[in-house]
Amino acid sequence: MELFFQTLLNGLLQSGLYALVASGLALAVGVVGIVNFAHGEFLMIGAFLAWGASAYLGVDPLLSLPLVAVAVFAVGALTYRVSIRHVLLAPELNQMLLTFGLGILLQNLALMLLGGNTRTVTTPYQGSSLSLGDLSVGGPKMIAFGLAVVILAGLYAVLYRTNLGRQMRAVAQNRRGSQLIGIDVDRVYLIAFGVSCGLAAVAGVLVATLLFASPTVGLVFALKAFAIIVMAGLGNLTGVLWASVVLGVSEALVQTYVPGGGGWSDAVFFLLIFATLVFRSFRGAR
Amino acid sequence: MKKMLLTGVLLALSGAGAVKVGVLLPLSGSGSVSGQAARNGYLLALDEINRAGGVLGKPLDLAFADDGSSPAKAVPEFVKLVTVDKVDFMAGGVSSATSIAISGPAKQYNTFMAWIGAAAVPVEDAFADHKYFFHYHPWSYYNFEAILDYFKYLKRSKGARNIAIAYEDGPFGSAGIDATVAAFKKAGFNVVMSEKFKTGSGNFGPLVSKAKAARPDILYWVGYDTDALPLATEIKQQNLQLGLIYGTPPSWPVGFEKNKLADNIAGLSLWLPSSPQAESRKFVAAYKQKFGNMTEEYFAPLAYVNLKTLAAAINRAGSTDKDKVAAELAKTNTPTPFGPLTFSKSLKTQYQGFKSGNWLHFQFLGDSRVPVYPVKFAQKPMVWNK
Repeated sequence: MELFFQTLLNGLLQSGLYALVASGLALAVGVVGIVNFAHGEFLMIGAFLAWGASAYLGVDPLLSLPLVAVAVFAVGALTYRVSIRHVLLAPELNQMLLTFGLGILLQNLALMLLGGNTRTVTTPYQGSSLSLGDLSVGGPKMIAFGLAVVILAGLYAVLYRTNLGRQMRAVAQNRRGSQLIGIDVDRVYLIAFGVSCGLAAVAGVLVATLLFASPTVGLVFALKAFAIIVMAGLGNLTGVLWASVVLGVSEALVQTYVPGGGGWSDAVFFLLIFATLVFRSFRGAR
Repeated sequence: MKKMLLTGVLLALSGAGAVKVGVLLPLSGSGSVSGQAARNGYLLALDEINRAGGVLGKPLDLAFADDGSSPAKAVPEFVKLVTVDKVDFMAGGVSSATSIAISGPAKQYNTFMAWIGAAAVPVEDAFADHKYFFHYHPWSYYNFEAILDYFKYLKRSKGARNIAIAYEDGPFGSAGIDATVAAFKKAGFNVVMSEKFKTGSGNFGPLVSKAKAARPDILYWVGYDTDALPLATEIKQQNLQLGLIYGTPPSWPVGFEKNKLADNIAGLSLWLPSSPQAESRKFVAAYKQKFGNMTEEYFAPLAYVNLKTLAAAINRAGSTDKDKVAAELAKTNTPTPFGPLTFSKSLKTQYQGFKSGNWLHFQFLGDSRVPVYPVKFAQKPMVWNK
């Protein structure tokens, strides 16, 4: 029984990290209406910035987090300005190809500038944990989960309680209508895309603390983020947390209870995407 | 202007007829840590060879190419070195995947290969019938022989009985895992867990929970550098009590030794800067003098030994005739930073250099890798945590 509860806990804690990555992607899809295949690479930039701040300046990753988020927000805004905005009205395939290419470009730039080796960050709290009887709760993952809840709550508050949020929702619903009532659509898109990249960077900082920084670190998490936003409903921010929990716990259960489950864990998110899409189409047909 | 032209002509003439060695290495991509270390080893050897008169009376010429850690890039780079740059010999080679990819062109052009890396058995199969293939790095079964020998020592000295195996689900971790489990059982160990994981996923929570329930003495981990810190973190967080964590990644994360979580984790290396051999001390001194720092990657001295022995064989052969050079290289018997180097048959290839007896087992102790086994090379007592 202890193993079962520890497995549930492992899944729940892992889901915090997933939710952080997925929240930014959900914002890009929901507001800007663009499927950003380079989302994982913005996470990678965040991870490297946190590593750099720690390795060269001795700044703890959690302290550098706000600065990293702002820096990657700026990178995201610049990316929007020079590339994304030009394909917003183009066919979806063009948008996907652009972000896909952007992802490859950023990954290869990191490979050229920093090499392919893995960088790790050292913090005093990395191995910290809280014991609940025989169960153990990892400190940094608990922070990631807490941060995910706070950020999603904050995003929700911004979307539903502020003028900017209302503008974002209006733009997401009807771009032309929003323009007609005087909303600066381009500015809203720029902010939304920048925030989306900033959120990826926040996840990247935690990934650097918990795992490592490397040019390919974003790919694994970006794939899972896609599964989460499909489960939550494209662009549905409120569904991101529960979808992350479903994915995290499902993976943990498969890893623990299915023989050779570690090799199957990546199949879980594909299975969840498949099941969600089939279920939705079945429900739609009725 | 005339002076410059004359200098150019003289330089060109001095290079004409020089022996040219092509070096294919992963200078970028996932294997770049080992590749860059190997490049430094080659440059150091090149300096020493040319200072000592070069090869066949002329300065030795090296042509480096980057395989990008990718088989798709390795093949055209290899073909270019052989057909366009017209190198006399090929050296380098770190990854098994790229080595398999170039086995076809190597046989097609009957290329002389003095190869430093590629431990996987499929590479041995691919080059089994190649008469000019000299393999310096031990094959993977020699690596495992060394690991099993160490674990048997832990059984005798520390009472280790139960082994949990965590292996990545790609070819690196999974190939031969059944044979590994069988070999541990044959040696009298209980394999209490054998679990796959996805490399790079960083999700070790469930695996460690399972290991905790199985109560192993040793956790034997076969994965990549990306898995080192996440696994160590999870073990610490879940307070998994182990005698030893033993890992065999091709390279370790940069700065891992400085992390407290790395303390007491053990691994395998062909060489460490603290290796006691006289040749190792000479290599360390020369490396520090040239580069101003020191590496812990064994591909640096391996590349150094590779080029020095190849150059010596060409000089002894008195020509670049492949048969003559192969005959001379096969006679090599020289001290190296790893111990003496001779070539003998492996299971399938004709010329195998280092074997299981050359491996060192180390532990991360006090911010560095310290040899702990074989006992005669141990610089500190091994830390057993049970």
